[in-house]
Amino acid sequence: MSGLLEIRNLSKSFDATKVINDFSMEVVEGTICCLVGPNGAGKTTTMDLITGRIKPTSGTILFANDDITAKHEHLIARAGIGRKFQVPAVLRDMTVEQNLEVAYSRQTNPFRNLFKFRKEGLKQKLDEVATLAGLTDRLKERAGILSHGETQWLEIGMVLMQEPRLLLMDEPIAGMTEGEIEKATRIFKELRKSATLLVVEHDMGFVRNIADVVVVMHMGSLLAQGSIQEIEADRRVRDVYLGEQEAV
Amino acid sequence: MGNLYHNKLAQWIVYVVFFAALTIIPMTVSDSFLLNQLATYGVYGMLALSISLCWGFGGILNLGQGIAFGLGAYGMAMTMQMQSQTESNPIPPFMLNNSLDHLPLFWQPFQSAALGLLLAVAVPTLFCAAFGGIMFRARVSGPFFAIMTLAMLSAFYTIILDRQPYTGGVNGLTPPSSFQFAGVEVDPYSPTAYWVVLCLLAGATVVAKLITQSSFGLVTQAIRDDSERVRFLGYSVAGYETVIYTISGLIAALAGCCWVMLVQYVSPAQLDVSFSLSMVIWAAIGGRYSLLGSILGAFIIQGAQSYLGDTFLATWLLILGGFFIVVVRFLPNGLASLVEAGLGLFERRRPTSSPAPDGGRPMPAE
Repeated sequence: MSGLLEIRNLSKSFDATKVINDFSMEVVEGTICCLVGPNGAGKTTTMDLITGRIKPTSGTILFANDDITAKHEHLIARAGIGRKFQVPAVLRDMTVEQNLEVAYSRQTNPFRNLFKFRKEGLKQKLDEVATLAGLTDRLKERAGILSHGETQWLEIGMVLMQEPRLLLMDEPIAGMTEGEIEKATRIFKELRKSATLLVVEHDMGFVRNIADVVVVMHMGSLLAQGSIQEIEADRRVRDVYLGEQEAV
Repeated sequence: MGNLYHNKLAQWIVYVVFFAALTIIPMTVSDSFLLNQLATYGVYGMLALSISLCWGFGGILNLGQGIAFGLGAYGMAMTMQMQSQTESNPIPPFMLNNSLDHLPLFWQPFQSAALGLLLAVAVPTLFCAAFGGIMFRARVSGPFFAIMTLAMLSAFYTIILDRQPYTGGVNGLTPPSSFQFAGVEVDPYSPTAYWVVLCLLAGATVVAKLITQSSFGLVTQAIRDDSERVRFLGYSVAGYETVIYTISGLIAALAGCCWVMLVQYVSPAQLDVSFSLSMVIWAAIGGRYSLLGSILGAFIIQGAQSYLGDTFLATWLLILGGFFIVVVRFLPNGLASLVEAGLGLFERRRPTSSPAPDGGRPMPAE
C-alpha cells in the first residue's frame, strides 16, 4: 500500500547543522498521522520541506506519486496540500470573510480572476466552513482583532476552504479551550472521511484521540512509528520524549 | 463595518458624480489655455491612479513610474513628429542638425500613426511585464523593488539624454503640429483634447475600480497583507504582482501619450526622478488606498502648484514638503482617510441593530 505522501531519505542542512537527517515516512490516504517529538526535532522543518518553503539538501517527497520535491509553494498548494502554520498566519488587515474567500482558491490564474466577480459555490462553502469554525458572527470583523483561539479556527477554516487532499496542521489546538479541543477532535475525525491529515501536536491527549498512526521524530530522524499504544510502550520514545513530559 | 465609505454602491455613485462634474467643465470654461491646463491635470490624475493601483492596492511601491510615462510620451512625440514630416523631407530637423542622414530603424514604424500609437502604449507595457516578471520572480519586493525601479528610471533618463541624434537629447522632441488621427486633428487647446483625456481617465478609473473589486483584486490585497501566506493558498504571487504592475504601467503609458498630445513636447525631464516622486506624493497625500483620493491628490497638489507656486516661488517646495510631512505624520492613509473617519462618526450615531439600508441591494460591480 503506497501512501498519499511519501518522504524518502530527506535531509536538510543549514550550514553545518543537519536539521533533518535521512528521514523517511509515509502518510496513508484517509488517515490521520500525528508527528510528535521534542522541541527542535525537525517537525516544522519537515512541514516547510513538504510545502516547498525551504528546499531539501537531498531526498525526495512524493505526493500522490508525483515528485513535488523543491517545487514552488503555490504549485504544491495547487497539487492539493493545505497548511496551517504553527504561529497562526491569517491576513490580519482583511475581514474574516475575505480571508476565507481568498483561501477558496479553485481558480488561481490572475488573468481569469481579473474577470471574476462571483465565485461558483463560494457562498455555500463559506457558510459551511464558517459554521464549522464557529465564526459565523465574526465574518465582518478584521482578522487582526480576533483572539488567539479564533485565529486558530480561522486558519483551520482557510485550509478547509482550499479543499486540499492533504492537510498539514502545525499545532492546531495550541491556545484552545477544553471545549474547543473536543470540537477540533470531532472535526478532524470527520475530515478524515474525505481527506488525509498530518498533524504536528504536543498534546498527547489530543494525539491519543485522533491519531491512526503516530510518527516520532528525534534529532531530525525517525525514532519510531506505529499506533499510539505501540508508541507509548516504546522505551526509546519514553526516554527522549514522553518521559520528559511525565517529569514536568 | 457599516461605514458608508466602504459601501460599493455609494462609491460608484461618487464616481458618477465626480466624472459628471468634470464633464461640465468644458461647457463653463471658455479660456482655452485654462482648459488645456485642466486637461493636463487629468493626465496627472491618471498617473496618481496608476500609483494607487500598484502601491495602494498591490502594495508595490514604484518610484519609477516615469519609465512607463516617459516611454509612452516619447512614443507619442515620435508619432506626432513623423506626422509633420513629408515625402520630400522625411527626416526630423534635429536629426539633420546632429548630422544623421537617414531615419533610424526604430523610428520607421512611427511613420504610421496607428502603428506609432500602438507602440507608444505597447512598448512601456511590455517593458513593465518583462521587468516586473524578472523582479517579482526573484522575490524582489518592498524597498528593494522601489530602489530597482529608481535605478531603471535613471538608466532610461541617461540613455535618452545621451543619444541626442536619436532622441533629441536634453532638448527633447517638439512636434510642430498637433496630433491627427483618422482625419481628425486634435487641437490641444480644444475641448476635444479635454474629452479625450477625460474619457481615458474615466475609463482607466472604472477599469481600476473593477479590478480592485474582482477576485484578482482580493488576491492582490491579500498579497499586500502577507505575500508569504498567499503562496500556500496556491496563488503565484509573482504572477499577480507582475500583472498589477503591468496594468499600472499601461495606465501611465496612456497618460504619457495624452500629455504629449496636450503640450506637444517631451524631454528627459519627464523621466526625471523628481517627477516620479511627485506621482507617489500625490497618491500619498490623496490617500493611496483610494483611487479617487489619489486622483484628487494630484489635482490638489498640481493645482496648488500652478496657482500658489508662482506666488511663493522657491518657498513653494518648502510648503509642499511641509504639507507632505504633516499628512504622512498625522494622516498616514492620506486625505481620503479623513472622509472615511468622518463617515464613520456619522455611522456610529445611527442604531447599529438594523443593517445599512443599502446592504441588501445588489452591487453594480457584481
